[in-house]
Formats: sequence, C-alpha cells, structure tokens
Amino acid sequence: MNDTIDKTDPAVRAEIARRFAQAIPHNAAIGLVLESAATDTVRMRLGYQAAFLGNVEAGLWHTGIAFTAADSACGLAVFLALPGLEAIATLDLRMDHLRPALAGADLVIEATCHHVTERMAFVNADLHQDDPTRCVARATATFTRTGKSVLA
Amino acid sequence: MSARANALTAALEAADYKGLVQAVPYATYLGLVVELAEDGSRRYVMDFRDDLIGNSSLPALHGGTVASLLSLAMQFEALIDMPAPRLPDPVDVTIDYWRSAAPVRCTATARLIRSGRHVAQAQAVCYQEHANRPIAFGRSAFVLRDV
Repeated sequence: MNDTIDKTDPAVRAEIARRFAQAIPHNAAIGLVLESAATDTVRMRLGYQAAFLGNVEAGLWHTGIAFTAADSACGLAVFLALPGLEAIATLDLRMDHLRPALAGADLVIEATCHHVTERMAFVNADLHQDDPTRCVARATATFTRTGKSVLA
Repeated sequence: MSARANALTAALEAADYKGLVQAVPYATYLGLVVELAEDGSRRYVMDFRDDLIGNSSLPALHGGTVASLLSLAMQFEALIDMPAPRLPDPVDVTIDYWRSAAPVRCTATARLIRSGRHVAQAQAVCYQEHANRPIAFGRSAFVLRDV
C-alpha cells in the first residue's frame, strides 16, 4: 500500500476522484459526474434522463437508479477517507425514500464517510434535487476494506 | 382510472409481463425480463451488458444494478401478488451484498411477505449461474396507493 499519498491535498483528492469515477463504466453510462471532493463530503450529480423514470404519468424517478448513484457516491467517499488506495466493497446499503424525485430535475448525491475501523468504513448519503433542505432519499451504507491496493 | 392504471390493470389481468416492464422506463433501461418458471413462480432476469460494469479490474457488475434488479423484482412481485390492484411505492430498501457479481446474467426471485391495507413488505434474492449461490439479498417496504 502506498501511504505517501496526501489525501488532504485538494489536487490529489480531485485526481483520485477523477480516476475512481473513470474506473466505473456504469457511472459513465448513466452520466453520473463528480462535482466536488474537496471536503469530507463528496458531491456527485446524476443528470435527469427519461430512461430513469419509474412512473411516467406522474413524472417520478425510479428509486433503483437513486440507489445506484448513492452506492457510487458512498464508495468514493469511503475511498477518499481511507489512508491509501485500498480496494473496497459494499457490504450493505439501506435507502429511505422520503419523497419522490421529480422528472426534469437532476439528482444530487452528497456522501460522507463518518467512521473508519481496521476492516470497515461507515458512510451516509443525502440525495436531493438542488435543495438540500428537501431530501428525496437518505442512504446508510457499510463498506468492507479489502486490505489490497486498487493498483495491485 | 388513469391511463397508467388502466395499462397496468390490463397487463396484470393478461399476465402480460412485457407490458408491465414497458410501463417502467428504468426497468426497460436495465433490460429486465420476467420469466415464468415451471412451478408458476416468476424469475426476474437482467442480461449482462458491458455498461453495467462497476469494477473493471475484477470485473464485476455495479452493485447498484443488482440492487435495482432486486428492487424491481420486489416491486413487480408486490404489484402482481396484490389482491386488489394497488401501486407499491418503495419506502425503504436494504441490500446485503453476499458475493461479487460476475459479468454474466443475474436472476432474482422475490416474495411478497405481507400485504396490509397501507403497507407491503417483500424480500428477494439474486443469483447468477448457480441458484444455490446467491450473490445478494434485498428487503423492502412499500406504501400502497389506490390506482
């Protein structure tokens, strides 16, 4: 493991985040982009697409695509919170759907890794449509640390 | 009754699972197919596609796509199994990841555990080549809306 990486350096964080996002084809496929990884909270944005709807008539996003976006953002938050470039895996993720996400508006995901142990990392995410005071969903996830470098 | 409710009710009555999937764009996006097993139970299948990969080095499917398959399986099963047609909206979803998802097709089976007046609860498992080696488990609660 390379422990010489300074993850407090904004340029380093941005580069790691860029590569992390790039290594995930499904993120690119759905158009999930990184907005900020400068602080402990990682912010990503998923642009609205009609293909993401669950209910066309009411104009509502399907909850499944929000789950995918939350998993990706939580993973990146964990990856940045760990000391090296350690491979991680989602152990479990719970999502509460507080209100429907409306068609036409993007989905913003803000994920924060709040605790790390020797083998685990714990992360929360808020999902909203550009109004953080009105969350559409909240996620709580646990990730396992593999102890192996992603470069290995 | 709304046009959507009419379409859903018609699809349900005819057991037209293709029509049900087509009513949900995100299910269509994932390529969801509902298969009828010999014992009359339903299997929810998501074929492998390169753009579903979440980890290129393993390689493995994105966990979110597996979660979505489980979630859709539970939602459709709730919709199909409901005594009177009501729309199940997911309130919460929890996914446990048991094994990494290989770059092959995924199959999910779901079970409506309970269907009350306002709330339904379901569980689902996802497997790949071997039904006895499930890769993920899901549970979900739904709030029921009259169509």
